Amino acid sequence: MSELESAGGHPLAEQPPPKRRRVHNDGNAESVPRHGSLDAPLRGQSLSIRRAPKGLKETATPGSDDTRNRYRSSTPSSPRRSRSRSQIPTTRPRQPPRSPMYSASQSPRSPRSRRSPTRSRSSSESRSSTSGSRSRSRTHSRSSSSSSSARRSPRSPDPESQLPPPPPSARQPLTPHYQKRVALRGHTAAISQVRISPDGRWIASASADGTAKIWDAQTGENIDTLVGHMAGLSCVAWAPDSNCLATGSDDKAIRLWDRVTADPAHACGDGGRAYGAGEDGKRGRAAKVDYRRKKAETRGGMTGSRPLLGHHNYVYCLAFSPKGNILASGSYDEAVFLWDVRAGRLMRSLPAHSDPVSGIDFCRDGTLVVSCSTDGLIRIWDTSTGQCLRTLVHEDNPAVTNVCFSPNGRFVLAFSLDSSIRLWDYVSGAVKKTYQGHKNEGFSIGGCFGLLTEADGRSLAFVASASEDGDIVLWDVITKQIVQRLEKAHKGICFWVDVHGGALVSAGQDGTIEIFSHAGALPEGGEPMNGVVREVNGVNGHDAVREGSITPNAAAMADDELQRQIEEDAGSPMLLQVKEEQL
Amino acid sequence: MNLLLSDDYLLQDYPENITNTIRSGHSTCVRFNRKGDYLASGRVDGTVVIWDLETMGVARKLRGHSKNVTSLSWSRCGRYLLSACQGWKVILWDLQDGTRYREVRFHAPIYGAELHPWHHHQFAASLYEEQPMLVDITDAGDIKYVLPSVQKRPNTEMDTATREKQAKEDARHMTTAIIYTATGDHLLAGTTKGRLNIIDARTREIIYSEKIATSVVTTLRITESGKELLVNAQDRIIRTFHVPNLSVEDLDPDTIQMPLEHKFQDVVNRLSWNHVAFSASGEYVAASTYNNHELYIWERGHGSLVRMLEGPKEEQGVIEWHPHKALLAACGLETGRINIWSVTSPQRWSALAPDFAEVEENVEYIEKEDEFDIHPQEEIQKRRLDQEDEDVDVLTVTNGGGLGDDVNSFRVPILFNLGESDSEEEFVNVSLGTVRRKSPGDEDGGEATGEEKAPGKKGAVATRGRGKRR
Repeated sequence: MSELESAGGHPLAEQPPPKRRRVHNDGNAESVPRHGSLDAPLRGQSLSIRRAPKGLKETATPGSDDTRNRYRSSTPSSPRRSRSRSQIPTTRPRQPPRSPMYSASQSPRSPRSRRSPTRSRSSSESRSSTSGSRSRSRTHSRSSSSSSSARRSPRSPDPESQLPPPPPSARQPLTPHYQKRVALRGHTAAISQVRISPDGRWIASASADGTAKIWDAQTGENIDTLVGHMAGLSCVAWAPDSNCLATGSDDKAIRLWDRVTADPAHACGDGGRAYGAGEDGKRGRAAKVDYRRKKAETRGGMTGSRPLLGHHNYVYCLAFSPKGNILASGSYDEAVFLWDVRAGRLMRSLPAHSDPVSGIDFCRDGTLVVSCSTDGLIRIWDTSTGQCLRTLVHEDNPAVTNVCFSPNGRFVLAFSLDSSIRLWDYVSGAVKKTYQGHKNEGFSIGGCFGLLTEADGRSLAFVASASEDGDIVLWDVITKQIVQRLEKAHKGICFWVDVHGGALVSAGQDGTIEIFSHAGALPEGGEPMNGVVREVNGVNGHDAVREGSITPNAAAMADDELQRQIEEDAGSPMLLQVKEEQL
Repeated sequence: MNLLLSDDYLLQDYPENITNTIRSGHSTCVRFNRKGDYLASGRVDGTVVIWDLETMGVARKLRGHSKNVTSLSWSRCGRYLLSACQGWKVILWDLQDGTRYREVRFHAPIYGAELHPWHHHQFAASLYEEQPMLVDITDAGDIKYVLPSVQKRPNTEMDTATREKQAKEDARHMTTAIIYTATGDHLLAGTTKGRLNIIDARTREIIYSEKIATSVVTTLRITESGKELLVNAQDRIIRTFHVPNLSVEDLDPDTIQMPLEHKFQDVVNRLSWNHVAFSASGEYVAASTYNNHELYIWERGHGSLVRMLEGPKEEQGVIEWHPHKALLAACGLETGRINIWSVTSPQRWSALAPDFAEVEENVEYIEKEDEFDIHPQEEIQKRRLDQEDEDVDVLTVTNGGGLGDDVNSFRVPILFNLGESDSEEEFVNVSLGTVRRKSPGDEDGGEATGEEKAPGKKGAVATRGRGKRR
């Protein structure tokens, strides 16, 4: 979905979305046309992420609105399937206005019958135009709760007034103080995702203009543009070695790219032979150099190499395993695919959800995959067996649009369309924290965990998220307080935020990428720390101690030399932690 | 990390049926790395293939040998791999870049070479018709020490004729298998005459020797803890021994005892055993059978046979037990495929719907007192948020994930397009005595990268393929 499509008269745009939904077991899944399972009006809306924003591309607007309307009219009548009991309310009325459905949620809350009312309510809520007032009332309750908690800092920022960065006087041991550093322009349409490479040196962005770009995280220089997809991009993921990245697009393909040469990593298949032949059999590094030489010819042309094909609909989210050997992808076809990265082979397909899969992540040891969907479910999968190990649903069942594991892999952070971010303990299946104060009602916005560590040992773990009003919001993980709000970082919607230590990068509807950096220990104009403050925030100090135990497991490694080498390679343990977050 | 959620620990701890078959050329030996995420296989053509067990795909191919690879040994960190071949050569590979880190030549084909468990610059090798060697490759030039196969005779008064006869005898006494103890301070060696020697790695002298079998010792295996020894000999008996603690301060060689624990044999079928392996904890002993298709698994505690694994209709050669899972890999002798047996856990359906529980029998539902109470939405919300006052720690890594989550350890780099990089050929028996070359595209395409098969399906596919060919 991109301006390519709507502007260029691309067949995708002209094709009316069929009302039929892909049913898993009917065996003719392939016959579903391109818009096959694009049923959810909700997603229709969030899809517009990847439509050119109105301000930027006039031609795109009517087309997108058009389609959206069509989705609306088609949905309520579309037949649904029920795969398991948990999905009984197969017809989910996302259409009706909120108020009547809202009252439905007040109905008896039997565990058995609860599902359908809440479900319909939540989905309608996320579509409603009036939900702003609702979210406000929620913030009310939140602020009162925060004051009741003894542990919180005495100066609880009033979320209601949504004041700019809370720390005028440095009252916390460590406060993020990110400042705008560079703005990267180059994409001609909205940017759906931006991610910093695990080594922190590069930034990759995926845009609705059908390209991905690689930027230097320091200088902001545009290193390369990855051209090859036939439609807008929804997602990008870095391999853990920072030398390879994957992009997913509305053309249903996933492409792997070599960061250095900006060439497709799988240079086999037809395209591979086209420029792999005649290189007198050189392989590996030598061959790559050769590609470099030929890059000018291959770039831009569609000769590209073999992408990962298999999804029946838009590819919406991607994640590499920590080893880089598996790529997980989630798609509008409601499935999660696990790919063998080396061979470019589909390893496993998980019939994951009953709505588009909107977010996916690997845990730090690669044994678990978490996926989420606008059906409101968050599912945890065993990578090796492909079995579902746990399903997390919030009572209100809001559509979940993005999900990621905590740095230690013990929790799952889920972004949902009721303007809340929830931290789940997936073992007990309980919500541990709810972060509110940003706006997220119709789009798949994203964020991640961040970790700031100062030389003096203080550290802060925070959650960073984009917001639909263009802000970027940072919360303290433990106190749930907003520790910084970067206001109006983007015109229109801010879609994605990624953090790597002191660097924060965001992308938005306006097609720009902003790089922020943390301005040291003392915020400007802030008072120096005083003893009183430290005492108040003893909680965090305590945490810092605990974090000290992250140090790499220095189990008796025989190969000292290797150990040293690796450590040199990987940097400090703190950096490693942050690397984890980007996955 | 998945251990927190799965109840796989309820599953049995020995493999049940074939879950995968992978093939790259004709594999003759396999070995898991210590972490258990990679499997190295040595092929007839001398290529060493590294398999990623998570993807069941080829991670790297190492070319350097020209003859059948006979043994493989991983370094503790998983970065170095020692491979020995019949072509008188041992190569230590660096998996970081796939280069030959060191290469050592001998004057005879090599039965097996094993790396020191802690230092990858030292290994022991048993040679065909030669005395075993201890090789130190710390410095640029490799230093080879010849190890004895026979204990020094006490200096008794004997006539020269007897002494000569003994010397001649001793010269024909060879070591066929040699391994390190867990600490690496001692070597355990099995000889052609069924003797078990303990050699001090520092003085390189036999400190203990005992005849444990009536025939050639073919395989020695030791558990991770180093407390149990598994011996396969050609006398059709598999034996397990308790290994004494050899690294005590004042070790008196005269007091060493190696008590025999169990003898495993099939007295009915009089089977010989091709290869043996300990399970992860040493709780089970597995063996592949000579001229037979089954794998036998015994429980070591009671010494009872617990399972005969049926696989493809093929004799299995080298077998390996995964370092911590109930997973067995075996090389088919005829086809050179690597067959993997493991357990499959059933899907728990309650995991798919959190408000469902799996119950043994019907339970009458008793509603809670306040179940149908109506509360204002705000209040519910407020109460919920108020409850979230628990401390969460999103950073500290708890060791819930078992073994494989050390971030700093060595990682095998990801390479692309390995499958296409050489022609994969396989020879299949078409009929008795006739062999037919089979290229990978022939049957289930791209097999070289491994495929998954349902347990029973495997045989069917193979027969179909064969039938077609005729």
